[in-house]
Amino acid sequence: MSEVVNLNVNGIDIQSDSKKLLIEACEDSGIHIPRFCWHKRLDPVGMCRMCLVEIETPRGKMLVPSCTTQISDEMIVDTESDVVKKAQEGVLEFLLINHPLDCPICDKAGECPLQDQTMAYGPGESRFVEEKRHFEKPISISEIILLDRERCILCARCTRFSDEISGDPLIEFIQRGNKTEVNTFPNEPFKSYFSGNTVQICPVGALTSTSYRFKARPWDLKSTRSTCNGCPMGCSTELNSSQNKMLRILGVDNDSVNQGWLCDKGRYNFEYLNSETRIKTPLKKLNNNFEEVEMQEVYSEISELIKNENTKVNFYLGSNLTNEDFVAFREFANSISNNDNKFYLNDDVLFQGFFNEDVELGKIDDLNNSDAIVIWAEDLKERLPVLYLRVRQAVKNGVKLIVFGHTNRTLDDVAEIFYSDEVVSENFEIIKDLTKLEDFKSLIVEKNVTAIIGKSTPQQSDSSINKLFDFLNSNSNLKILNAFTKGNTYGAFQILDNLKGTKDFVNEINSENTDLLFVVAADPIGRSIYSKQVKKVFDEIKTVVSLDNFKHETSELADVIVPISSTLGEKNGTFTNIEFRTSRIDKLVPSPGQTVSDWEFITSLMNFSGLSNNSYSLEELNTKAFEDLDIELKPYFDNLDKPSNLDGIINRTTPKIATSSSDSEKVNFFIGEKLYGDSVTERNSESISLLGAKKFIEMNQETVDKFKLSSGNCLLEQDNLEINVSYTVNNILPKGTIYIPTNRRELNKFDFSKKIMITPSRVKEALNVN
Amino acid sequence: MSWDKTLLKQAGEIIELYPQKRSALGPLLHLAQSKDGYISDDSISVISELLGITEVQVKSVSTFYSMYKQEPTGKYLISVCKSISCEINNSTEVIDKVQEFTGLNNNETDEDGLFSFEAVECIGACGGAPAMQVNYETVEGINAENVFSLCSWLKESAPEVIVADEMQENFGGIKSFDWAIQDNTGATSTAPGFQTLKTSKVKK
Ligand code: SF4
Ligand code: SF4
Ligand code: FES
Ligand code: FES
Repeated sequence: MSEVVNLNVNGIDIQSDSKKLLIEACEDSGIHIPRFCWHKRLDPVGMCRMCLVEIETPRGKMLVPSCTTQISDEMIVDTESDVVKKAQEGVLEFLLINHPLDCPICDKAGECPLQDQTMAYGPGESRFVEEKRHFEKPISISEIILLDRERCILCARCTRFSDEISGDPLIEFIQRGNKTEVNTFPNEPFKSYFSGNTVQICPVGALTSTSYRFKARPWDLKSTRSTCNGCPMGCSTELNSSQNKMLRILGVDNDSVNQGWLCDKGRYNFEYLNSETRIKTPLKKLNNNFEEVEMQEVYSEISELIKNENTKVNFYLGSNLTNEDFVAFREFANSISNNDNKFYLNDDVLFQGFFNEDVELGKIDDLNNSDAIVIWAEDLKERLPVLYLRVRQAVKNGVKLIVFGHTNRTLDDVAEIFYSDEVVSENFEIIKDLTKLEDFKSLIVEKNVTAIIGKSTPQQSDSSINKLFDFLNSNSNLKILNAFTKGNTYGAFQILDNLKGTKDFVNEINSENTDLLFVVAADPIGRSIYSKQVKKVFDEIKTVVSLDNFKHETSELADVIVPISSTLGEKNGTFTNIEFRTSRIDKLVPSPGQTVSDWEFITSLMNFSGLSNNSYSLEELNTKAFEDLDIELKPYFDNLDKPSNLDGIINRTTPKIATSSSDSEKVNFFIGEKLYGDSVTERNSESISLLGAKKFIEMNQETVDKFKLSSGNCLLEQDNLEINVSYTVNNILPKGTIYIPTNRRELNKFDFSKKIMITPSRVKEALNVN
Repeated sequence: MSWDKTLLKQAGEIIELYPQKRSALGPLLHLAQSKDGYISDDSISVISELLGITEVQVKSVSTFYSMYKQEPTGKYLISVCKSISCEINNSTEVIDKVQEFTGLNNNETDEDGLFSFEAVECIGACGGAPAMQVNYETVEGINAENVFSLCSWLKESAPEVIVADEMQENFGGIKSFDWAIQDNTGATSTAPGFQTLKTSKVKK
């Protein structure tokens, strides 16, 4: 048990928790001790010795590393004595022996702990004349990360991160003594979804990212705090720009959410903002060609349609909008005279979720505080990456993890129990009597359980997850995190009632009930598994207005494209994450050309059409979003901007989701999305554009043999569609089951309710033809 | 996987000995060393798969310890101590002699793959300085003349098993202390001879 202890640091009495390390206790009391290797989210190692301080011991004063020393009662500490100063100078002198001092050409210069601490604590003069050690200047250890081993001070932050936090230790110290270097295994690159974090925590410029290299100096950067809208985790970020260009995204340590970490997609998927191909002027289709028009023309044409009482309007919304955008759409829909309008979210997997009075909704922090975590959802590592880190962290703290199904196989190494095909069938039904799973029961019955439940794949039946939910709910003290996986889904839930998904859209929408369709920041034809059906719907509808950043398969079918600002850095607003925590989305760079925020466009359109007399301000929309909430502290801008609320405000609502439930479909494959795909923003973000380019499928070895595959490639065929893909062996998949990542180019174009043929590849012939 | 069935079976037995698989890393590296005379990237992949850790983690350990060789060694690894006790008892002459005989600089292997030579830090036989090892089997009280004969003997009779006692008797001098019972077990490769690893053999 922890208790409060008293200690004396530099003659000042302080109090702290006995579990704390000396460096932390001092930090909490405002006494800064220099350090390189210690990082509050990593286990201490005492590698660098920069944090040496003197403590009184029975044998007199002693130098100890404060990052590995646990405090105790009546400890007497000196962090500023002459001996400590001498030690710090000595340590720095050693660290600089082999340091190249390339500050003038180093990306880290200006925000470099080595530079700063040498200034503050260093000896001031160098005594070294010897040649320093040399390594090949930066080597790329992955497509997005470079390593300059000469600059490395061997603090082990990067290697500890990859081992302790992300669980993919693909970098390590190689060699020993003064030959030590960080490196990967030959031909085994640092392919981690979290590699950008190592760049951020490296205390020198040894690790750099391709996207930021040589782009700016820290003192030239403008920055603001914001929230990543890449997935419902809503990680806290710091956006950096220079000369009005977004250049970098850093993770901010939000204790309840991301604890400083980001996934690489959240971190690097921003370069599209500056893409040449972005739409910057309104486009209107004339004789099948888009022509640039004035915004005024767009407003007047669409408002004509809206003014007509008979025009039936519906909405297909992307999940990357802000809450205020959603409010604007809601107000707009409510004020149209023909107001039987419906909202569809750009989500193939949307399900009803577990939201009612009997359900206790969980927080992310509950993961750490429960006895067990139960997961049955899409692959968290691919879809909610930082939540995946939080799960791993909870397990490290002793929480037991139970994983169902074959989607979350990357949690297999830390799971207490991993139920694959003996319990979960290939079409994601539980085939065992849960009451007979003794191991499972012993971990959950009457225990505090946090469950992350969602549909593993669009084809999974609702009843299967309901079954697991019911069992947990009646046998344990359950808190639930619904695993929806797209952008600001929870914000949409809070603001729009009766939301539906893409499947409902294709079943319900047709020319009879829709004359005017708004498609907002969504590319269902390019991305959805219902691509074909969506296209059919679009072809039928008289007027389709697309609000988007780019021309893509969907916006190209529209009659009008309105260029919009990106939610990333180009507009202000709020975002609501998986635990209904609302935090700020902030604007840092100007929105290019004639782009407008979605809410601006919609509220102006309302004005034009005479639906409202005054145009809404962003603040009004923000108020409207949350005014009905029954909580004291509402996530209004004013409140969120207070320093104490920067981490966001939790505001739970009970959403009404109207998507129809689905039965499971018997299929020989299951589908999901990988973190990196082929979306238009990724294609236009140079650094990461190739990461999602590979087309592949996964199956187990037996299945590979069954289809007589051997070359590493195979051919998928259905009707007229033939796609060459490579295959990877994944032995956790049940026999005969094939996993298809549908966010890889063209792989979403199959009809997944029908059979897909797999045959050995005909690559050779194809090559001959070329 | 490029380890044959016997080796894999042996690896399995070693892993069994530990409550955590990962603890078998050291012994498995010795096993790899005994197979190839060095730790090949291929062996690293095999070991990483057997232990469920990444290849670079195995590489990290294997490059940390100097007894796991990163380059192929010859059949006989000659290690002469260069630390203080041996140094003041003329180990330099011994080193010179070995270099003269084999034509090797420190940490080199000859073209025929017969000898590797290294000058090493204290091998814990200071009482019998100067001391040296062949495939980690120790000889104490060596001198320039005897080491020459030792090398000639290795070259000419090419023994399969290197036994410390045998070398001591034929080429050694003063010992630090009496090693007690005569032991005919010796090393069969450039990995230390351990019975549990089957890297040792009894010389008939
Ligand atoms: S690369 Fe950076 S983080 Fe990694 S050990 Fe070197 S200095 Fe530390
Ligand atoms: S986990 Fe989600 S919210 Fe966090 S950085 Fe990645 S995409 Fe953004
Ligand atoms: S910070 Fe304490 S040893 Fe590095
Ligand atoms: S100094 Fe040579 S064995 Fe110790």
